[in-house]
Amino acid sequence: MTTSRDIGPKNPAQQVAEAAVDFVDERSGVKTGARWFLFRNIPAGTSWFQTLGFTAMVVFGMQAITGIILAMYYVPDTQGGAYASIQRITEEVTWGWMVRGMHKWGASVMIIIVFLHMARVFIWGAYKYPRELTWITGAFLLLMTMFMGLTGYLLVWDQKAYWATVVAVNIFASAPVLGPYIGDILRAGPEFGPATLTRFYSIHMLVIPAGIATFIGLHLYFIMRLGISEPPWSKRRLRIERDEEDARRAAVREHAKALPGAVAYPATWSAGAKDGTR
Amino acid sequence: MKQADKRAYDKDYAQAKKTGKPFFPYAIFKDTVIASLTVIGIMILAIVVRVEVGEPVNPATTDFVPRPEWYFYFAFELLKIFKNQDALTPVIMATFMVPNILILLLIVWPFIDRGPERRIWKRPFALGMTVIVTSMLCYLTWMGANSPSGVSSQGLPVSGLDEEATKGMAVYMANGCGSCHMVAGVGAPGPGPDLSSEGSKGWDNAKMIAWFKAPKPPMPSYASLPPAELEALATFVNGLGTTYK
Ligand code: HEM
Repeated sequence: MTTSRDIGPKNPAQQVAEAAVDFVDERSGVKTGARWFLFRNIPAGTSWFQTLGFTAMVVFGMQAITGIILAMYYVPDTQGGAYASIQRITEEVTWGWMVRGMHKWGASVMIIIVFLHMARVFIWGAYKYPRELTWITGAFLLLMTMFMGLTGYLLVWDQKAYWATVVAVNIFASAPVLGPYIGDILRAGPEFGPATLTRFYSIHMLVIPAGIATFIGLHLYFIMRLGISEPPWSKRRLRIERDEEDARRAAVREHAKALPGAVAYPATWSAGAKDGTR
Repeated sequence: MKQADKRAYDKDYAQAKKTGKPFFPYAIFKDTVIASLTVIGIMILAIVVRVEVGEPVNPATTDFVPRPEWYFYFAFELLKIFKNQDALTPVIMATFMVPNILILLLIVWPFIDRGPERRIWKRPFALGMTVIVTSMLCYLTWMGANSPSGVSSQGLPVSGLDEEATKGMAVYMANGCGSCHMVAGVGAPGPGPDLSSEGSKGWDNAKMIAWFKAPKPPMPSYASLPPAELEALATFVNGLGTTYK
């Protein structure tokens, strides 16, 4: 088989495409940027546990898409409109039950994935120098993800959600000093009512998503700038530690030879360590 | 971390990168596999466990079970632990102090654990925290998932009720008081305190009704109930453990 590269001039479509990419690259540097992003090196031992952050991001994207579709049908009206629109999405709209189901399950799965991601970062000590700020932006992401769950729960406007949210808002409102103000802000007034639903709706679909998007941006900036951490027990690290241990033991042995008796205990201790009898 | 440790880390990490692999395709491949499996899993869940539409909201009948989503069960269970309004276990521990201490710890953690060691088996404190926090969260969530969600419609095992108190008990049942309070062993063990001997406090009905209308959080207000029902409910609750046993 021959390609256009082997004989004659290039396929005109390809010529146009290449010219377009070059035009954009000359002005924006995307090609260079993408090449840097894709082909920069990461530590060789990078593990499957390091996929959880990306997965959280993908699930957030899925929540955004299903959420936008739900918003096309949802009506934030306490006089039965909200409830009826949820009913319509679930029972009438084509694939509506699927979109709502994915959004609802997506919320639970996102919490689990974010928690597991955090656990992996914690266990690996990946928040240590120089990644402290990556951790802090992540902590805010966890809090905002949970707050998404809280505000979204009310929107279906059924008994269970309504009363659970009344109790939750009461808890916020009972905090000392700022509590009453926070309660008023969440409820959009002193009482739970129609204004509360529209307030939760806009917090759920505008305020927090904007916050999460911003913090994911910051989080990713830090990750790209600092590089993804190496597993603390990567093959490379273990080899270095073994070499260091060997060197230390050799030094102890040298020392023991020079001063017989004085360091007999450490010498036998490290000999035991070598064949695993320690 | 000391300056020397930082420089040592920078050097070691640069070395790891130099002997590393390109982001594409190695990391991208793994990322795509796990993210795709997760999204497929969510779709399967959505198909197998269909979403439901619950009872419509009715702020007048407070016949409710205040159950949050499962990922807040731990906070809800915390309320039950600190439900006694006494000096040792005040509710404010569960509603304010414990959550805020946890949030603060979460945010400042990198400044608490600053040593250069990253292997978990050489960080006993961090390992202990992982085990304790994870098992606490799992335990509380499990407790929340298994907690009784209300009172059966049969009524409460309380005798000696007069006409007014019978009405009061009906109001108690209809408004889901039992999903937070226990009377004579029936109902949820929290977040509210056990009301079995509430009468021994010696409150009069006016004081009790004032409480129903403006209770201490997290208990919701019952100001929307008709005055006659509030009166009956107050009579019933004020006699618990004394007149009605
Ligand atoms: C919406 C939530 C979150 C998203 C979308 C997200 C995204 C990511 C991504 C894509 C990475 C790259 C490496 C990996 O996948 O493991 C990462 C790394 C990291 N994340 Fe997150 N994250 C989230 C929440 C959190 C939370 C809750 C924390 C901790 C409190 C956190 C702390 C970190 C740290 C310290 C790193 C750097 C780890 C390393 O270099 O090994 N993140 N995050």
